[in-house]
Formats: sequence, structure tokens, C-alpha cells
Amino acid sequence: MEVEIRVEPGRQEPKLVILAGEESGELRQLAASLSKLALGPVPVIRGEEKLFLPQGVFLRFYADGKGVSAQTAEETYTVRLRLYELEERLDAARFVRISNGEIVNLDRVTAVDLSLSGTIRMTLDGAVYAYVSRRYMKKIKETLNLGRRRGP
Amino acid sequence: MRENKWLIRILIGGGLGLLFSLAVVPYLMNTRSPSPVTCLLCIALGATLGAATLPFADDGPTLLRRSLFHLGLTALEVFLILWLCLELRDGRAWVLWMGMLVLMYGLVWLGRWIGWYMEVVQLRALLGLAPGPSPLKWRETLPYLPFVLLLCDILPPLLNWIDHVAVADVPVLSGFLLPYIMLPVAGFCSGLSLGKRQGVCPLYPSACFGCYLPMVFLVYNYTALFHCFMVAVPALAGNILGWLYRRTVPKKTKKPSDFPVDNG
Repeated sequence: MEVEIRVEPGRQEPKLVILAGEESGELRQLAASLSKLALGPVPVIRGEEKLFLPQGVFLRFYADGKGVSAQTAEETYTVRLRLYELEERLDAARFVRISNGEIVNLDRVTAVDLSLSGTIRMTLDGAVYAYVSRRYMKKIKETLNLGRRRGP
Repeated sequence: MRENKWLIRILIGGGLGLLFSLAVVPYLMNTRSPSPVTCLLCIALGATLGAATLPFADDGPTLLRRSLFHLGLTALEVFLILWLCLELRDGRAWVLWMGMLVLMYGLVWLGRWIGWYMEVVQLRALLGLAPGPSPLKWRETLPYLPFVLLLCDILPPLLNWIDHVAVADVPVLSGFLLPYIMLPVAGFCSGLSLGKRQGVCPLYPSACFGCYLPMVFLVYNYTALFHCFMVAVPALAGNILGWLYRRTVPKKTKKPSDFPVDNG
């Protein structure tokens, strides 16, 4: 299959166009699975500035009492979206909810530890800690099983 | 939905408790029918046991708090049944019953913990991460075992022998120096070292206790049982302190400039 990438400066979200001689079941299946990919940037706020950052730079999104924050390796930003809205926008194979108040980027997990009291701690980029609620373990494993199989 | 599930378990437990009080307790108490207090206590104990897995549904401090509360409640109910219904007054029997309860609880906790550990192992594999520490860090504790054997199994008979050969009247080495200075200091320092390197290793104090126990009966007698605690408790304290140090003081990472320059 021929694959072509065209760069369009200023475009926020990538658009995929499938060119084919005739419609088929396989094509419809491909279109359906591609439309599920959420690759768009995430709108964040830094002071008065509104930025659109690519999903890959984020370590985690978490509720911090006042609202939702997004943490990258360098900075923490404010997000005007709720966690459930973010969940719908983010790439489901890469981002997963680990507790009521936190979504993490699975590609940035560097360690998983278990304490004696049963607390599961995820380390992101070797420095940021996130705590996994055991209620979400099944969902995390499902995401990993599906997402990683689909991966490169 | 979740609350309903727990309510059903509590009701089933209570029902089984009632059946137990009606069918088994009369035989144990040599009466035709149990008193209402006995029935109520058996129902309460059954209901508590029915909710035994409830504390494990949560994690972290909540899990610890709920587990301790559940253990306390179960112990209270067992205490009341033994005291009021079976009229148990023997202190040693009390220790045995409560010890059995705590042991059972410990085993349940360990079983649950192994389940969680397996989940974490699976998660690490799915994420493509390194396997991580062994269960309860037994493999990380192993390098310290020769030291424990030396301290707890070789030193006591050696000092006892020296006491008998050199100083016949007062066993200063095995009776005073070993339990009050050597065991606590060595236990604490080795625990501290292990804690600083590997974090909390719960098997280390247990290994100290277990390795010293045969020496109590081989070299001394049951009055020297406190020696086991004299090594295990400082080992635990040192281990926790080492772990706290490890958490507080970040590990030094060497910069390229710290390495010696090869001018050759």
C-alpha cells in the first residue's frame, strides 16, 4: 500500500484520506480503526497563554482540587477540560486512567512498585510518582493487552 | 451495587453464625440450647468474617486502617465468646487463641499481598519493564544471610565455650556482652545497611529471630528467649531507619567530571 505524508503548516489535528478504487469491508474497518486514533494536540494554559502541545510530551493529567493539571517532564500546565473529557480526546492505547483523579502516559512509565500495604506506585520518567488504584488494574491491563498488540 | 454485595456477604456470614450457635455451641457448652447472648455473639462473629475481604478492596492507608479495625473487631468478638460463653480464664489459652487469630490474619494478608505482587509482575511485563524486586525482597536479603548465621548461630556457642574455658564463674561474654551489646548493635547496623541499599526487607528481622531461636535451646534455655528479640527488634528498627534515609537523601549520581581522566 502506498503511504504519503503531506505537511500542512498550521493544521492542529492530522487528517487521513484513503484513496481507493472501490469501497470494501476491509476499507471500512481500516477507516473505523483509524478514526478511533486520537492524535490531536491537547490545549493547555500557561499563565495567560493558550498552547497546543502534542500528546507525547505529557507524563500525566491529574485533578488537583481546583481543576485539572497536565504535567510534562519540564512544566505543569492548567487544562480546561475534565478528566473524562480528556480520556475521550487522548490516544486510548497510550493514556490510561489509573485512579479517580489521574490519567498517565504508559509510554513514560519507567517503574512499577508495590509497597507492603499494597499500594502500587508508578514512576514516570524516573522522577514523577503516580499511585494506581487497584480498582483500575483490570482496565489498565486490558488497555496494555490491546494497545501493545496494536503497537509497532 | 458494591454495597449490596457486601450486605449479602454480611447477612450470609451472620446466618452461618446463627446456625453454628444453634448446632455446634450446645455440644461445646454441654447445654440444650445456647443463651441469646451466645447466639448474638456468634451472629456478630459470622457477619464480621463474612466481611473479611472488605478491607482488601481498598489500598494504601485505608487498607491498613480497615484491616486493623477488622482484626480488632474479630479479636473482641472471639474474646467475648471465649470469656462469656466458654468461660475460658486460662492466660496461656488466651495467648494461644489470640496468637492463632493473628497468625490466620497474617496468612490471609500474605496471600492477598502475593496476589497483588503477581498483578504488578504482569503489569511490568506488559509495560516491558525490568522484573523488579523479588517477593518480600527475599533475594535481596540473601547476601546478608551469612552475616546473620555468623552472628546468631556461630557467635553464641563460641562465646559460651570461651566463657566456660577461660572465665569459669561469670559468663560475661555470652550472658551480658552478647545479648545486651553485640546482638542489638550488630542487628541494628546490618539492618541499617540493608535498608539503605534495598529498602524495607521484612524477612531480615524474621531471619535474625529464626536463626537465633535454635541457639536459645542448644546453648541456653527458654529464659534466653528474649535474645531473639534483642537481635530482631534492632534489625527491624535499623532496616526502617535505613529505608527512611534512602527515601530522604537522594542517591548521588556521578558526573562525567567525577571519573578519573585517562591521560595515557
